[in-house]
Amino acid sequence: MKQTLRAICQVGVVSLAAIALAPFAVADEATTSEEAQPLDTETVLEAIDVDPYEIPDLPLKKSSNYGASAVDVEPFGHVEPYAEHFLEQMEYTGPGRAKAEPEDLDSVKIGFQGPIVPTVSVATGGHSHEEPLGIAMLRGGSRMAIEEVNDAGGYLPRDIPFELVVHNDNGLWGASGNEIVDLAYKDKVWAILGTIDGANSHIAIRVALKAEIPMINTGDTDPTFIETNIPWVIRTIGDDRQQNYLLLDYLYRKQGLERVAIIRASNRYGRFGVREIKDGSRRLGHPIVIEMAYPVGGEDFSLQIDRVAAAEPQAIIHWGDGVDGARILNQIRERGLDQPFYCSDRCVTDEFVTLAGDHAQQVFSTYPWNPNREDPALERFRQDFEKRYGVEPDTYAAHAYDGMNLLIWAIQNAGLNRAKIRDLLAYRGEPWPGVTGDIPLNAALDDGGEVFFTRWDGKDWLYYSREDLEIPGGVIAPVTREERDSVTALTTGGGPR
Amino acid sequence: MNLLKAARLTFVLTVIPMMGLAAEVDQAADRAPEVSDLDLPFVYTDWEQFTVEDGLPNDHVFAVEVDGPRVWIGTEDGLARLDKRTGEIRSWKEEDGLPWRVVSALAVHPDTGEVWLGMFGGGLARFSGGRFDHFHQLNSGLVNDVVYGVCVENENIWAATTAGASRYNTRTGEWTIYTEKNAPMEEIWNYGCSYADGKVYLGVWGSGVLEFDIETENWKDYLDPDGEMEIDLYRDDGIVHVITTGVSYVDKTLWVTTYFGASRYDGRHWRGYFKKDSGAPSDFHNAVQARSANEAWFSTDKGLAQVADFPTDTWVVYTTDHASNTGQAIITRGERVLETRTIPPNIPHNYVLWTEIDGDDLWVGTSKGLANAKGGGFFPGLRRASDQATTVEPEEQPTNRGGS
Repeated sequence: MKQTLRAICQVGVVSLAAIALAPFAVADEATTSEEAQPLDTETVLEAIDVDPYEIPDLPLKKSSNYGASAVDVEPFGHVEPYAEHFLEQMEYTGPGRAKAEPEDLDSVKIGFQGPIVPTVSVATGGHSHEEPLGIAMLRGGSRMAIEEVNDAGGYLPRDIPFELVVHNDNGLWGASGNEIVDLAYKDKVWAILGTIDGANSHIAIRVALKAEIPMINTGDTDPTFIETNIPWVIRTIGDDRQQNYLLLDYLYRKQGLERVAIIRASNRYGRFGVREIKDGSRRLGHPIVIEMAYPVGGEDFSLQIDRVAAAEPQAIIHWGDGVDGARILNQIRERGLDQPFYCSDRCVTDEFVTLAGDHAQQVFSTYPWNPNREDPALERFRQDFEKRYGVEPDTYAAHAYDGMNLLIWAIQNAGLNRAKIRDLLAYRGEPWPGVTGDIPLNAALDDGGEVFFTRWDGKDWLYYSREDLEIPGGVIAPVTREERDSVTALTTGGGPR
Repeated sequence: MNLLKAARLTFVLTVIPMMGLAAEVDQAADRAPEVSDLDLPFVYTDWEQFTVEDGLPNDHVFAVEVDGPRVWIGTEDGLARLDKRTGEIRSWKEEDGLPWRVVSALAVHPDTGEVWLGMFGGGLARFSGGRFDHFHQLNSGLVNDVVYGVCVENENIWAATTAGASRYNTRTGEWTIYTEKNAPMEEIWNYGCSYADGKVYLGVWGSGVLEFDIETENWKDYLDPDGEMEIDLYRDDGIVHVITTGVSYVDKTLWVTTYFGASRYDGRHWRGYFKKDSGAPSDFHNAVQARSANEAWFSTDKGLAQVADFPTDTWVVYTTDHASNTGQAIITRGERVLETRTIPPNIPHNYVLWTEIDGDDLWVGTSKGLANAKGGGFFPGLRRASDQATTVEPEEQPTNRGGS
């Protein structure tokens, strides 16, 4: 009976959204050890069917290199560090897999945590400002994916619907942790999708660890989010580390620039978003000439622009929200500064284009995926979303849609057990075929997929891959730093990634 | 001889020899004393386990606090009190007045005997005379309701919360909140709390360890000197990582745990511990409790680990194999296994969340029950194996109440 139900699940999910229940296999060769063996779903399900005291005997994902960092931007690159982290997948060793499924359920609850309602928060350092992103995440990801799966039969093993339990992530006084506690203990959801703000995400995953509930993040690009060694956390969006690396390669390896300035939001997103740019610039021999932070939502950026202008940079990088980015760009141009202006993905918005006007056309922004690639699944998603909401899906909607479908896939197969749902996600070797592209999870259970550049051409956003722009990359070592014979041999010269 | 020459000569004759002497002293301090493989630590062999079948409200034990003859136990669904003399367990759930089901931290005020409960999403509570007084972020100065750690400092109660630390003066009723506004918290996600010798130590996830001097109200931070998340550059240069999960300050020695390894600091030297270079069974540490400057207990996701003798880097790791209903104690020195002893089942589950030291005994909270290790014949440090008494006979093995 159990086998039959699993088979039904698989057929159902496949027909539901053209999502392949592909067999487990080794992930990207660059991030997975040769010891890892291909696994199929049945093998994983059998291995995780254990008593409270057993740990599944399954190979853990291994990476030779954290975050696909080129050897010349690795921290303390000419010294072998005593310890390297995030190179082996975290295990869950607790008793949760043996918890029995509840008998009487009317629905299968999945939690959603995101910025929906504006608040003032200690955790985020003041007034919240990410509601448009959170609403897109709720609409696309969460609600549309749930509606689709329910139209296709819901939770197939029991023929009951999925139910989305929505919580705002900015409770009073930084109470986002309380929201996760409520989702875990009061609402009794099986897994949670969320959130966007880096501080709230960190608070949430600490709760997820203690409450032992899987949490999938589709909107927080803070690199440190995943750098916590929590086995219950998965991210399915290319983070700022990857976007930073692309920008570094473009500015220094392709353009040959030497003097770059940063102007960023004075919040966690801005602070951690440029961290690898700063470190990488220094390690490549071109320290950032000035870094200026500004209060989010400001009108007058003359102080920051004065200082940036005085530093005489060859290019300016902005890391912050689109509205702030547009105002800064306009004021920079009004001052007669004509340096190339680069942005983070949060400037890829209609508001940025409207506010920046013609100036927007000269701006390159990094982006975690390519919405213009040809993919029937993406096209269908885009059409359905526009039909449902009257607007085009943005990155938060699309990534949340992928994340929620991945979660649904795991629940359909694992059953109603939080630890087993985690296992299906964590041991998945093959990239998830999402509408945002393939999502390979590395050893840190982070999205190791490709990131892109984008530019507004006055009519459309155009997207460019590393290959499109012929951006050279640094050498990525095939072995860990501990295993390398010679660091210097690897650091001489660049080359294809 | 002019003044410059005199100064040079004085430097050569006095300072340089002193530097050499200091270096020798440092080296001597770092040098492990000579020990034989026959010099071994005490191994706990007398264990008792408690689960819901014995009266615990829930098997997921987050916190344990010893209060004389009583042991308070915080679980994922209720508070329990175990009478050590009778073995009787009494429990409180929400229907019994407990303000919130998940009790994640416990502390007993030594003067008043009041029990302070940190609740995971439920704030802080004082349990006294059969009554729960509830403090939360809407009725008090508690900065956040998700409380990970509680400790008592004089007449004050400290709560380590997910959005800062709060200090409650039980005499005046005054609350003080510590966040990035008034403390050197790079992040505000407080996790652990420890008080001794006039100083409060906070383990702050993402911000290392913060030391608060009660008298001067000054803060000092302890961070990973390399400043990087993905590596630890040098083992003994500071805490091994800023994602700290526990702190314990005893005998002027600070023990720190993270999800990446552990550290010890004696005020002058740091020592890092990783799975690859010590007896630690894992780098994932949930908490630490020290018995002395030379001994600490680590609650890991793969067993209960003890630095049994710091000077010789001797460890003991306890695990239970439920399939064979046996326990194991592995004694290591450095990276070398000295002995693997088969002992009775010890901890009810190898995912350990909390360890409480009770004189020579231990109480261990795991994700599937509570264990009590009885330390009859306990001795600190090492003793020649031939001088150690055999304490457990096969017929004296305790019942594995939580076993499979």
